[in-house]
Amino acid sequence: MEKLKLNETPVRTSRNFNINNTKLDINFPEKITPFQNLKILNYSNKNYITEKIDKYNLVYGLNKILENQVKENSNKNIKIEIDSKINKDIVLDFEFNNENKTLIDNIEIIANENTKATVIIKYCTECDLEYYHNGIIRALAKENSNLNIIIVNFLNQKSNNFLSIENKCENNANLKYTIIDFGGKNSITNYFSDLTGNSSNNRLDTIYLGKENQFFDLNYIGELRGQKSNINIEVQGALKDESKKHFKGTIDFKKGCKKATGNENEACMLLSDKAKSLALPMLLCSEEEVEGNHSTSSGKVGEKELFYIMSRGFDKNSAIKLLVRANFNKILENIKNEELLEQIVNEINKRLD
Amino acid sequence: MSKTNIDEINRNIYDIKNKDEYDFKIKKGLTPEIIEEISKQKNDPDWMREFRLKALEVYNKLELPTWGPDLSELNMDEIATYVKPKSKLNDSWDDVPEDIKNTFDKLGIPEAEKTSLAGVGAQYDSEVVYHSIKEDLIKQGVIYTDMETAVREYPDLVKEHFMKCVPVYDHKFVALHGAVWSGGSFVYVPKGVKVDIPLQSYFRLNSPESGQFEHTLIIVDEGASLHFIEGCSAPKYNKVNLHAGCVELYVKDNSYLRYSTIENWSKNMLNLNTKKAIVGKNAQVDWVSGSFGSKISMLYPMSILNGEGAKTEFTGISFAGKGQNLDNGFKVVHNNINTSSVVNAKSISKNGGKCTYRSLVRINENAKNSKSSVSCESLMLDDFSISDTIPVNDIRTDEVEFSHEAKIGKIGDKTIFYLMSRGLSEEDAKAMIVRGFAYPISKELPVEYAVEMNNLINLELEGAIG
Repeated sequence: MEKLKLNETPVRTSRNFNINNTKLDINFPEKITPFQNLKILNYSNKNYITEKIDKYNLVYGLNKILENQVKENSNKNIKIEIDSKINKDIVLDFEFNNENKTLIDNIEIIANENTKATVIIKYCTECDLEYYHNGIIRALAKENSNLNIIIVNFLNQKSNNFLSIENKCENNANLKYTIIDFGGKNSITNYFSDLTGNSSNNRLDTIYLGKENQFFDLNYIGELRGQKSNINIEVQGALKDESKKHFKGTIDFKKGCKKATGNENEACMLLSDKAKSLALPMLLCSEEEVEGNHSTSSGKVGEKELFYIMSRGFDKNSAIKLLVRANFNKILENIKNEELLEQIVNEINKRLD
Repeated sequence: MSKTNIDEINRNIYDIKNKDEYDFKIKKGLTPEIIEEISKQKNDPDWMREFRLKALEVYNKLELPTWGPDLSELNMDEIATYVKPKSKLNDSWDDVPEDIKNTFDKLGIPEAEKTSLAGVGAQYDSEVVYHSIKEDLIKQGVIYTDMETAVREYPDLVKEHFMKCVPVYDHKFVALHGAVWSGGSFVYVPKGVKVDIPLQSYFRLNSPESGQFEHTLIIVDEGASLHFIEGCSAPKYNKVNLHAGCVELYVKDNSYLRYSTIENWSKNMLNLNTKKAIVGKNAQVDWVSGSFGSKISMLYPMSILNGEGAKTEFTGISFAGKGQNLDNGFKVVHNNINTSSVVNAKSISKNGGKCTYRSLVRINENAKNSKSSVSCESLMLDDFSISDTIPVNDIRTDEVEFSHEAKIGKIGDKTIFYLMSRGLSEEDAKAMIVRGFAYPISKELPVEYAVEMNNLINLELEGAIG
């Protein structure tokens, strides 16, 4: 067991606020064997997938030790290069089981100029064992590309989920992320987008849903450098039982990003008096001609709304489910894959029971 | 096309320097011997001397903050922590030495005393040189005096409250304050007494390479009310000066306190001040804060809502110009049911200045049915200034209503266009927008301070739309 300091914020605040980083005891896997249980769907020669990953250093990332573990000991490397406009979703479906308890994945997605694609990356667990996931996803959206990435975390509540995401957006690129973050005893995500391109656009929508003792630590950073670049971060979550969430969102307007815009909204529904929500929505600004907004809110389900739904014949639990679903719906609309959407809705219902 | 030019604050009045004359100036640095000497000069009782020495030990153990502005230019070996002016404490302005009186005259303190204040305290360097309170307040049992007199004459009251709200181990500069504090005001408002006209303390630091460490202790007893105003300024010198004051407010059950501050330190000042209020059942503390001066400011007033139904409001504005790094904000901890907090913070950055809004809202497990609403807005007036918003929202129970919103941006061209279409010149339109931006703060100030604040944000406009 090793205590690691993870997910440092780009700018520190008072240590007493307990949010500059997260300290976790981590059981590193003793033996890393190849991960065999991966299904890849809908790829062709035009959008080739290789195991050869270029060398890199993350700008942020969760932690150097975890980064080096991926760079030196990954048991699954996947590079996807998009060369055309693809209508079918490319799906990477990782399923942990008794033979595949550890996944250290290194994924690189490159959307070349004028291309379009959706990539779904799904992590799920077959049984109730303790699994370990540490991954890096890097995406490069080149000029005029349109890249849509959906990440689904359905790990069980005994597992650890560590994920570092790093993106770069070139001129007029459109990069959209949807993260469904449900699983893991600890689910720790670092997300960094570098919007260097003029009129580049990045949208990040996240849903998290915590129960029992789950802990989520989300550290989202967007740096706007290109003129008229734009980032939108929307996070909707609900916490049951004694679950806990740290949300750290940073929109950083760098000098030169004239007419850039950035918005972040984080809303947390507290479904128990023991659930805890800690949020640090930062706006950093070194440029005049920009527009930045952030908002956060926390609270329980509205009594009036509950009463209204219950007066229509629903029991309390069903009414709460409906209200949580209503908050999540706008983000769920991003999921066009019906099979996946059904799985997510079922998982929401199961978790709220 | 040229751009709107908003002047930085005219500091002529505040920058008047008197000759550095004093009765006694402690040698620079921070050692137990220096602390003993300050204590001797101030004729401290034994408990206070021991308190100072313990605070120095804590200071030596604590680290500098690992966040916020760079404080590396602060060298305590170059700061004299105690400067006794050439004046005793007076109750008539006529007895105050001419040069010191002239300074306060120019700052408008005696005039304000005549027209709109119920009591005045004036501190020059490390000691209070003038203190007064209206007779009818004395008759009602209100105590308003300098802190040293309070230590001597009300030892039990002081011992019970002194640095209990802000303990010396809170952070390094509170520990420093505990070791070298001097001057400041003590206010006690008895149960049920309403002080309708404000009391004001003004702190002036004249001596170069020195620090001011005044201690303000206010106790508003049950059912009482008070408005207290604090002002501060200093002339500019080449080397840094340090201000590490401490404000402790005890707002007991069903009482009300408004604490207003216009801070206008010189631009060589490191303002590392600490302010905290403990708020009782159904009591309320309101903070109104205008922060214009200082080279570096780290100031985060704090309300601890301990009583059921306790309330707090914070209304503040910061204006950072060239060479200024103002890291200000607010902290509130909800510790009981039905508590509420409202925060409205604004900042303007100009000419390379940096404004940071840093805050904490913590709603603890036992603070059911509490509400908190936070709004912060930042205005950037050029493309080489900086404006950051770093709020922490820590919600530990479900039965709460919490919301936070912030926005950052420049003066909108559409808004200017709209006002101009109604017949205003571009200059007038921009002036109106900036004054409108500051209005929610200035309307909370007594009228003469609102006028001063509007003067501080003086507009000079030229050319077409930028």
